[in-house]
Amino acid sequence: MATHRSCALWSCCGRRWSRVMRCCRLPGFRSSWPRGPLGARHLSQEKQATETHFGFETVSDKEKGGKVYHVFESVAKKYDVMNDMMSLGIHRIWKDLLLWKMHPFPGTQLLDVAGGTGDIAFRFLNYVRAQHKRKQKKQLRAQQNVSWEEIAKKYHNEEDPLGGSRVVVCDINKEMLKIGKQKARAQGHKAGLAWVLGDAEELPFDDDKFDVYSIAFGIRNVTHIDQALQEAHRVLKPGGRFLCLEFSQVNNPLISRLYDLYSFQVIPVLGEVIAGDWKSYQYLVESIRQFPSQEEFKEMIEDAGFEKVTYESLTSGIVAIHSGFKL
Amino acid sequence: MATLLRSALRPLRPLGGRRGPAADVPLRGVRHGAGLLYPGHIPTSPLQKALLAAGSAGMSLYNPYRHDMVAVLGETTGHRALKGLRDQMRKDPEGAEILQERPRISLSTLDLDKLRSLPEGSLGQEYLRFLDVNELLCHKFQQAWTLCVSQGRPRGCQRHYIPCPRTPLLRVSPDTRAPTRFVDDEELAYVIQRYREVHDMLHTLLGMPTNILGEIVVKWFEAVQTGLPMCILGALFGPIRLSAQSLQVLVSELIPWAVQNGRRAPCVLNLYYERRWEQPLLALREELGITEPPTVHVRGPA
Repeated sequence: MATHRSCALWSCCGRRWSRVMRCCRLPGFRSSWPRGPLGARHLSQEKQATETHFGFETVSDKEKGGKVYHVFESVAKKYDVMNDMMSLGIHRIWKDLLLWKMHPFPGTQLLDVAGGTGDIAFRFLNYVRAQHKRKQKKQLRAQQNVSWEEIAKKYHNEEDPLGGSRVVVCDINKEMLKIGKQKARAQGHKAGLAWVLGDAEELPFDDDKFDVYSIAFGIRNVTHIDQALQEAHRVLKPGGRFLCLEFSQVNNPLISRLYDLYSFQVIPVLGEVIAGDWKSYQYLVESIRQFPSQEEFKEMIEDAGFEKVTYESLTSGIVAIHSGFKL
Repeated sequence: MATLLRSALRPLRPLGGRRGPAADVPLRGVRHGAGLLYPGHIPTSPLQKALLAAGSAGMSLYNPYRHDMVAVLGETTGHRALKGLRDQMRKDPEGAEILQERPRISLSTLDLDKLRSLPEGSLGQEYLRFLDVNELLCHKFQQAWTLCVSQGRPRGCQRHYIPCPRTPLLRVSPDTRAPTRFVDDEELAYVIQRYREVHDMLHTLLGMPTNILGEIVVKWFEAVQTGLPMCILGALFGPIRLSAQSLQVLVSELIPWAVQNGRRAPCVLNLYYERRWEQPLLALREELGITEPPTVHVRGPA
């Protein structure tokens, strides 16, 4: 197509091609495209190297997606147990800190990508529900000379305990979503939750839809991180916030050695003993080492178009929360 | 322009391997498969082996259904015993042949029809009967499972045997044996694999069913024969979950019998079972010096 060929000149440039493509596209084109690899993206992919890392192995781009899928398919059932065992429960604090940083208020639309088992989504719902209750109580207290009838009516007309907030959990892996749905049922989360099967590099959502985009411990498994960042930029509303919780580089040398020892010696053993799966947990610790450092990742986020990008290292840099805004 | 170039080049950067494995990381090799002694090999450091041994011992006690944990325990603790076993096999002519040819026993390599056609009382027939009686073979279509057991198996489906999903405690069929992973020597990896596959043969030889009592007796026999720490631990800790009555029978009759025969018999890994299908079981027992096994109830306390 003529439009594609002229856009080929721009396809080398990492940053702006997506905007150019949007101009080149005919209206209504998006809905007619199949969910397979987009024709325009192929041109830019040809220019990039076709090999990438899978832990410390080298695999082709196409292989990595499938291999990561298998890893998470096999770990899904024991995912939460293993998280607790490996991090000694600290991962719960990290996720709580992410929510605290997000500080959502009733009405926030959250997209949680790679959020398979729903940890962030459930925390978000609890947070927003608590906020909403607090707001209501404050309102009631502020009103003076309110009759008992009016107070009872206020509590009865509980139309939306979430105050309009919604969370969409998107994950590429069916097994992880299945576990997440089971957990939601067990914990009693019904309203305000949607589960979508989708690829972080190609989100099945329209532009400018969400207030907050979060991705916790998921972005290092994505084959093309820059594409995922660009998709994040696309689906966020102007003024929206990008939040990423991910393993990062430890800054203290002593802790780094202890952390390496623990990661490579103990974690695969835990995986074998508890989940019966050595290789998946070996991949996990290796993929942590392959992920860029805090500064480099910050630059990648800036390249995707985000502004006011900051990061906060937790637990001496074992994890870091990166935050950026689409302005 | 510089930033655009940088962003275009960024995806290439992680390939440089700028963050290579740390000093105490068991190296997997740059390319998948390099540096591995045999397919499925996972190189482990001594610390990892120790942690695995401890973890697998604990997990097998906690959850006896985790057969893979028993296997891992055997692999991580058995180095010295396996070397001894391998030397014994090398000294014996039949054993040396086994080490050379590396035969494998699995349901797919067993010719079930041929075994069924063998004369009554032969090793092959008895082995097949052992698999049948202990419900290690079952019809492919599980909803017809109870029907086919009571009415005899339909002719057409005798090829389609799968490990029975309803196997009670400790029952494992030839095909559910996980491949060796943590042994750092290729020949020893085969020896332990052979030992696992011969386990069912031992049940047939000793006439022991696959309930807990039978398994413990076989474990005692194996512990005396092979000296594998996993067998010794299994033999010592297996009876923990038994009732007092079974414990009494075990200690008074079964264990002394197993130990005596284990001491008397030559190394059972030296038998090329695949060539002995036609040999009558009683003759084989006489050859090995195994006396009449004491009766153990088939539906023993689980």
